[in-house]
Amino acid sequence: MTTPKRIIKETERLVAEKVPGISAVPHDDNVRYFDVKIDGPSQSPYEGGVFNLELFLPDDYPMTPPKIRFLTKIYHPNIDRLGRICLDVLKSNWSPALQIRTILLSIQALLGAPNPDDPLANDVAQKWKEDEKAAIETARQWTQQHAKA
Amino acid sequence: MKFGHVFKQTLKNEGFPPDWVESAISYSQLKKCINRLTSELSEVGLNPQTLARLIKQVEERNAKEAQENTKHADSPLEYLLNHEDGPEKGGVQKPFQPKLLFHVNEKTGELDSAMLDEETKKKLHMLALESGLTDLRVLEEPDDSKSIESGASSHTVIGHECRRRPGYKTVEVQLTSDSEFFTKLSSELSGLETLQDREEKRMHDKIEELGKQVAKLTDPDRRSNKKLIAVWRQIFQIYVENDIFFGTRETDHGGHDAGMAAQRFQKFANTIAQQGLVDKFKKPECLQALTSFMNINREILQGLKFGEINRTAMTKILKKFDKQTNLNVARSTFPLTITYPSFSSHLAKAVCSELNTSILSHVPQIDDYSCPMCMEIKWRPVKLSCGHVFCIRCLIVMQTNKQHLCPLCRQRSVVDANSDNLDLELADFLKKWFPDEVKAKQKHNELMAGVDQYGEVYKDQCVVM
Repeated sequence: MTTPKRIIKETERLVAEKVPGISAVPHDDNVRYFDVKIDGPSQSPYEGGVFNLELFLPDDYPMTPPKIRFLTKIYHPNIDRLGRICLDVLKSNWSPALQIRTILLSIQALLGAPNPDDPLANDVAQKWKEDEKAAIETARQWTQQHAKA
Repeated sequence: MKFGHVFKQTLKNEGFPPDWVESAISYSQLKKCINRLTSELSEVGLNPQTLARLIKQVEERNAKEAQENTKHADSPLEYLLNHEDGPEKGGVQKPFQPKLLFHVNEKTGELDSAMLDEETKKKLHMLALESGLTDLRVLEEPDDSKSIESGASSHTVIGHECRRRPGYKTVEVQLTSDSEFFTKLSSELSGLETLQDREEKRMHDKIEELGKQVAKLTDPDRRSNKKLIAVWRQIFQIYVENDIFFGTRETDHGGHDAGMAAQRFQKFANTIAQQGLVDKFKKPECLQALTSFMNINREILQGLKFGEINRTAMTKILKKFDKQTNLNVARSTFPLTITYPSFSSHLAKAVCSELNTSILSHVPQIDDYSCPMCMEIKWRPVKLSCGHVFCIRCLIVMQTNKQHLCPLCRQRSVVDANSDNLDLELADFLKKWFPDEVKAKQKHNELMAGVDQYGEVYKDQCVVM
């Protein structure tokens, strides 16, 4: 099957116009499968960490959203143990005009603004609500432990 | 190498037009001015070290006043540029009258400052005594206390009283070379500004002319142009992608300096040469238009370079001024009057936007007419009730998937789109400017419609047929 123009264009642009703190590189043998790296936003508990993710563009992309998952362990109320992400634009609020780069920016923003009121990892969200300071400290420790390049 | 030398060499070797070189900042002359000023100053006993010490004291005093939030009566020394200047400080026309003022006790001839060390005091004392003999002048102050008694206690009077107290004389040191320096510098700056305006006008005319030419050469209604439009488009696309004068990306935005711009321009030139685009122009008109396009860019580059070197010259000469005299212009008194006309960036910006509107816009780029979903050409274009335009194929897929919201604004406009939403005007435009892309997309759309109807097999059969 030929690669849709959309995927070619997006990949080209990801290389030509890099997003600060984000990289996405397609696999040589599968143009729909990307290795993603996101830098933890500054002034967040994830600062200084580099997080690996995998991104897959399904056959009917962009009518359906890309599938994305954290590979690096991360302590975050909206990301569960398997690395799945709870983010509206990845599900119900997906729009075919959104792109890989916009989605990755949303994820980076989610790291900067955790939302414990709409949790995916219940235990983490609860900790976050009970004692935010301690939760942030844990997130920082996990970043040091798991997300150091 | 000394900057004066570099400056001279650059002006000579970069191939600037003679009238530019003439308007350039006369660095070496200004430097001589500074030398004269220093000797003038040391003639009256104010060598740089003494001045530095004095000014430092004034500054410390001012800082202390600012800290304590009280306004002390007077500082022992004032350095005035433009001292009659009213509110409109920007006025360059007014001649500078720089002078140094010292407040000296009338009776003792002592400088009004307890903080000066003996040596400096002695020097200034001597200075005051010598007044009249050298080019020092002693001014009798009007008796301000009287005017206050007479009831005219307006703000200015109080200000005066603060600064000039009775019983004190003000010793004024006229600085001839200093005024020469600033008059020269500011007149040169306004000369540069005029030059810039003239250049902008000239470039404007040139670009307009070329714009007309390009419009003629790329008129899609002329048969002979048909093949050339694609070439022009490619050239302009490469031009835009190279971001020669301004970065438009997340990691690189804002103006580029001359070095960067020159590098990018070179890359642009190399790319079009490598892709053999120039060779595709057979007609002499085309080659000529391309040449003048390149020349306009080279001229913008020259302008950038010229502006940069002059700005550096100005900063350097002011720094030198301070270093040699310790009068601290650049730091304190100064920024009001002399600012460099934002020559380079301003000119480049103006000319680039012209370039965009009058030349590049004649050849529409495919990226401006691609569907936000499939990123192929918007063929056939369908305009939803919310105003957003997509290709018909993507909208059919959305409707089949029961995705009702506009991908760009989330209005429920996809669900009720029908053949009335076809944008016929845009369709004509696309057919005219992008005939090849339209043909390819049309074929693809038909193929996909067949797949919708008969399933995936249709694709394979169609390819064989």
